[in-house]
Amino acid sequence: MPTHLYIMLSLVLFLIGAGGVLLRRNALIVLMGIELMLNAGNLAFLAFARSLGDEKGQVFAFFVIALAAAEAAVGLAILVGLFRTRQTVNLDEASLMRR
Amino acid sequence: MLFLGVENASLLELVVFAILALATVSGAFLTVTRRNPVSAVMSLVGTFFALAGIYATLSAHFLAVLQVLVYAGAIMVLFVFVVMILNREEIEPVAWRGILTRALGAGAIGYGALWSVRLVHQTKDAPLLKGPAAALPETFGTVASNGLVLFRDFVYPFEAISLLLLVAIVGGVIVSRSHTQEEAAVEVANRRRAMRATAGPERRLLPASEEEAAPAAHAASHH
Repeated sequence: MPTHLYIMLSLVLFLIGAGGVLLRRNALIVLMGIELMLNAGNLAFLAFARSLGDEKGQVFAFFVIALAAAEAAVGLAILVGLFRTRQTVNLDEASLMRR
Repeated sequence: MLFLGVENASLLELVVFAILALATVSGAFLTVTRRNPVSAVMSLVGTFFALAGIYATLSAHFLAVLQVLVYAGAIMVLFVFVVMILNREEIEPVAWRGILTRALGAGAIGYGALWSVRLVHQTKDAPLLKGPAAALPETFGTVASNGLVLFRDFVYPFEAISLLLLVAIVGGVIVSRSHTQEEAAVEVANRRRAMRATAGPERRLLPASEEEAAPAAHAASHH
């Protein structure tokens, strides 16, 4: 399989995730869009690792997965805290940092 | 097939890739378009499973397993739990405010996707995009060889990741902690101190100094 098909898939996935981050107002969907973008980066890492025959790309994808887990934990905790203080997860209504 | 520039791929490989890529893209599209958060999470799980299959076709077996375990398992369970905790109305209404801007943004992103896919298609004869030049070793992407690279070349980043996860755990607990319970505890402590102040010194059960200092300091630090 040629690598450019994987890179095309990665680009499309990244842009769909970016669309979710930029165009949706539900904070939960925005976090899911970030997960999609991280996965698109992982796919590009793995495709180029196979193309170059170098396994360092796969180890970097491993780091990205650990980073995504940490990001999801903190992001969802912030979301729960936001919901406790504001009773909403709509990002348009959460533009102030104070209570 | 010639249009895609895949002379050197077998039909089976191409069909498997097409099915998995279709599942991935449609799952991602459903994820960002659903108004019900539960169905968005479920489409994201499907996307991650299809991506794990694609990782396996890239001979990244270890990463495919990790994708299923960590993403489709742990992170998605976290998302489902948060959907459950928030417990809001399942389907949010369509916000008509700013719909023009969003339609414009969606158009721009679609155009960007087409443009970048065309760019990759034009440069598909570059050596980096042609696929592996030499045959990959038999152990490429297995746990053993990944572990060798990880512990030979990336020991310090690996340890830093453990520190990062610890910080994320502590941060998650602190950020999502309930403030109302703490405020109730501080209020109870204040009331108890007021009662003790009105009572005479002979009614005290405990020495006053150690109990009175602690809640006051806690209240001052919290607000």
